[in-house]
Parts: sequence; C-alpha cells; structure tokens
Amino acid sequence: MHAQIDKNKPSAQWIEHLRERYPTEKEIDRILTRRLHRRSGPGYSPLALQTLVEGVRGLIQARHGEPFEILEPRWLSGGASKLQMAFVLDWHRPEVGRERTRMVLRMEPAESIVETSRLREFQLLLAVRHTVPVPPVFWCDDHGEFLPYPALVYGFADGVTKPSAATGNVTGLGTRLPEALRAQLAPQFVDHLARIHALDHEKAELSAFDVPRPGTQAAEWMVNWWERVWEEDCQEDAPMMRLAAAWLRRNMPSVDKPAIVHADFRVGNFLFTEPDNRISAWLDWELGRIGDPHQDIAWTTSRAFGSYDERGRFLVCGLIPEEDFYQHYERASGRRIDQRALHWYKVMNAYSMVTLTLSTGYRIACNGKTHQDVLVTWLMGISYMLMDELRNLIEQA
Amino acid sequence: MQLRADIQITSILKALNDVVLPAIDPGNQLAQEQARLCMGLLDLMSRQLPLQFRFDVDELKRLANLGEALAEAAGVSGSTETVQVDTAYARDVLNRAQAGPSEVLAATHALRASTSALVQEVCGKAPCQAITRIERLVLDASREQLLRDRSWLLPQRWEPAPDAIPAIEALLAPAQDEA
Repeated sequence: MHAQIDKNKPSAQWIEHLRERYPTEKEIDRILTRRLHRRSGPGYSPLALQTLVEGVRGLIQARHGEPFEILEPRWLSGGASKLQMAFVLDWHRPEVGRERTRMVLRMEPAESIVETSRLREFQLLLAVRHTVPVPPVFWCDDHGEFLPYPALVYGFADGVTKPSAATGNVTGLGTRLPEALRAQLAPQFVDHLARIHALDHEKAELSAFDVPRPGTQAAEWMVNWWERVWEEDCQEDAPMMRLAAAWLRRNMPSVDKPAIVHADFRVGNFLFTEPDNRISAWLDWELGRIGDPHQDIAWTTSRAFGSYDERGRFLVCGLIPEEDFYQHYERASGRRIDQRALHWYKVMNAYSMVTLTLSTGYRIACNGKTHQDVLVTWLMGISYMLMDELRNLIEQA
Repeated sequence: MQLRADIQITSILKALNDVVLPAIDPGNQLAQEQARLCMGLLDLMSRQLPLQFRFDVDELKRLANLGEALAEAAGVSGSTETVQVDTAYARDVLNRAQAGPSEVLAATHALRASTSALVQEVCGKAPCQAITRIERLVLDASREQLLRDRSWLLPQRWEPAPDAIPAIEALLAPAQDEA
C-alpha cells in the first residue's frame, strides 16, 4: 500500500517540495502557494450582500478619496469560478465628471476552480483596453485587504453571451448560434484574437507577469503550472495524465516572440450587443499570460467549446469551420501557424482543462470552498470527454 | 471514476443549505418542510451508501442461517423446498460477494496511484523502447476505460455525438464474469 498525503491538510514540507519541483512564474507560484496554506482553513460560507458593499466602500475610499455612493447592489450569476456583484456608483469620475457608473465586483471564493491572480487580471484588462473591447477596470484588492477575498472592480459591459433563442449548457459551453449571427461574429472574433497577439507587451505595465525567454520556457512554465495543480488536487490519479505530462515535457515547442495570450478565448467569454451583433466586451482574462499565441489558437478549437453546423461540419466555438479559422487568423495576424506547436498546445490545453475540472473541481467541492460547489461538481462530468480528447491528440501526434 | 455519489451529495447539500433553503418563502411551510426533508434524506443517503453493501450482505447471511434452521425445524412441508432452494442460492451469492465495494474502490485507488507513479517515473526518462511500449499500454487501457466513463456520464449531455457512445449496460462486464 502507499503512503498517503493528506491533500486537504497539506504540510509545509510538501508545499515546498511542489514549489521546488514545478518552477513557474512568480505570481502563479504565489497564488498556488497561498491556496495550499489556506486549504485546511474554513470553507466558503454565504456572504451577505452588505458585507461586499462595505468591502467595496472601503476599497473605493482608499483608492478614490472623493465622496461617492454605492447604489442598487445585487448578485450576478454566470461563470463557474468567481462571485460577482453588480452595483451603481454615484461618483466624480476622473476626466468625466459626476456620473452614475454601472460596475461589477468580481471576487474569489475561498478556493476557485481556477486559482488565479486578480492583480494579473487587472493589469491585463488595462493593457488591452485600447486594443480590443473590454470592460473598463477601476480598482483591485489583490490581497483581500478590504474584501473577504481578493477582488477587482470593473465597469458593467452591455451585451449577451448568446441570443435568447439559442440553446446551450452552463458557462456558455455547447452554445449553438444561428448562421446569420455566426457570419457577423466570426470575423470580429478572429480579428480580436490577432490584435491581442500583436500588442507589444513590453510597453504595457505588466509587472505581475514574467516574460519567458525565447525558446521552450513558455511551454515549460505551463506544464509546471498545471502538473503542479494536478499533483496538489487530484484524488484519483490517472496513468493517462502522467503519460500526458511526460509527453508534453518531451515535445515542448519553442516560441521566438512571446505575446499576450488571453488563454480562455472562446464563446461564452465575449459579450455582443443584439441589435447590431457587435462584440462589446471580452471577459475572463484571469488565465492570461505572456506566452505562445498557439495556446489561444489551440484553445478556441477545443471540441468542448464547439458545435456542428447544419452540414455536420465542426465549428470552432460554434462560429467558424476550423480550416477557415486558421486561414483567417494567419491573414489577420501576419503570423504563421506551426502545426506542431498548435498540436502541442491542444494537448497542453486538454491537460489543463482535465486538471481543473476533474482534480480541482473535486478538491474544492470536497472542502466546501466555493459559492457553487454543486456547479463545479456538475462540471467534473465533462472531464472524461476531455481526457479522451487528450488521449486522441497524443495518439495522433 | 471521480464523480461519485459522495461528492455529489456533499455539493448538493451545500447548495440546498447555503442558497436554496434561505431563498424559500418562510411563510410557505410545506416548501420549507419538504426542503429540509430532502436534505435529511440526502444526508441519510450519504451515511448509508458506504455501508449499504455490508448491511445487505450481513442481512443475507443471517437470513440464510434462519432459512436453514427453519427448513430443518419444519421438516417436510409445502414451503420447505422453496426455502432450501433460496437458501442455497443465498449461500452461493455470499460466496461470490467476498469483497465489498469499498474494498474494490480502495484497490482501484491504490492501483491507479502505483501505475501512475510508474508511468511518471519511466516516461520522464530519456526516450527508449520501454517508453514506447508503456505509452501503447496506457493509451489502449485509457481508451477502454474512458469509453465507459463517457458512457456513464451520458445523461449530463456533454457529448456532441452521444449516439456514437455505446450504452453503459452494454459496456460493463456481467457481474458473474468478473474475475
């Protein structure tokens, strides 16, 4: 029999062992280490809306310093990882004047299905605001100084993730869009991705990000990040996941010019306004990093995010046939897609998705760490299809 | 299979307790009472599930003892033969039910851990013939298991082409064939 590590009460020695074994970006290491240190602590308990209002009030007082009023607070649903509260801020907005601005508080639960840094999300939203449509971002409480957990405040963006007539699963997955709508959204979708990858990250304030050296470091950091999470969270180990991690290390691709990567660029993560079908905001930048653009290209083409059209063709994110997507992206970005790197990132992405849905989903629900354990438990069910996709991809390599 | 009844019940209870119950109109006593009963039954289920098989085996053993004793005490009567047939069948079932579900699960976990560690150790080395062989074995075994995992979860409707996945009843080996 085996010496068991109690992953619900991780020892300091085990945590240090993992940090040493899986080196990654400093900020990623910080937030993963923080969650392990807190794991044996209390689970998530329901919070009163007023608690969040008071937290937001403290944050804005500290950062803004002028009189303001928080109005109409209410819970927002959507997404599987963070708590969200909508409110209206009556304030003197710099360079605008007196305004009632609709805002959203986005706060972590005790542990999230995707453990990420609010500071990185905040910096990334600022960095891309003139490049693609994103909600304006106002303040960040990156250490949970004012709110119960780390949080950020951004502007409310108008739009919908899917037309009211469409069908789909939770979190926007499996959404089927009408052909006419696809024709309008697909070109914007591809163009926005190309613009993000063309942005010069060296000119942006991205201090919470490490920039990988040209070569395989971007790939190596990503394997280390997700293998560490698998190690930290999985209850039932899987030979297939161990095989995949070893395969990823043996086949790491090089990137000459690292770029900003959204890392969750898919249907369900953008809003569009219904009368004109324009993409109005790109959301969920929490997994963003400076890495290889192939990561995004591979992510959008996952079977989990796509659907089939009337002729039975697979549509990337339910929007565009796969080959058309690649051609349009190359034209828009001026970058050439390397099929070997693309394939590697498909394997890598499948590995990370299985890790977060199956291992982290289990661990946080087991410890009652979120505001919607029942949703993350439900999402565990998709992981076997994803693991089979992972297996298929390695077979094809 | 990680998505088992224990974690499902735990998360359902948390959702009912933290979100659903507080949202039910306090004036609607029937809804309040039934929500609490649902939670009570789920809690009972979570406590019973790990022991259900042992409970049933224990009951069957004592019933078999009773059946034998009754048949002997009654001598020849109209129902004796049926009791004897059913008792013999129960003894046969008990002989085959020597390991319970929790032992099967523990053995599964242990073997998953040790095979995973072996794959991690060997496949992390420089490429060699053993890696190729091990990869083939793991990929083939994973294909078979993942087909069953996906079939088991078909009711969740994740699959884009569900008709391509055989029903779980057709994929699982009959209990008598398990060795």
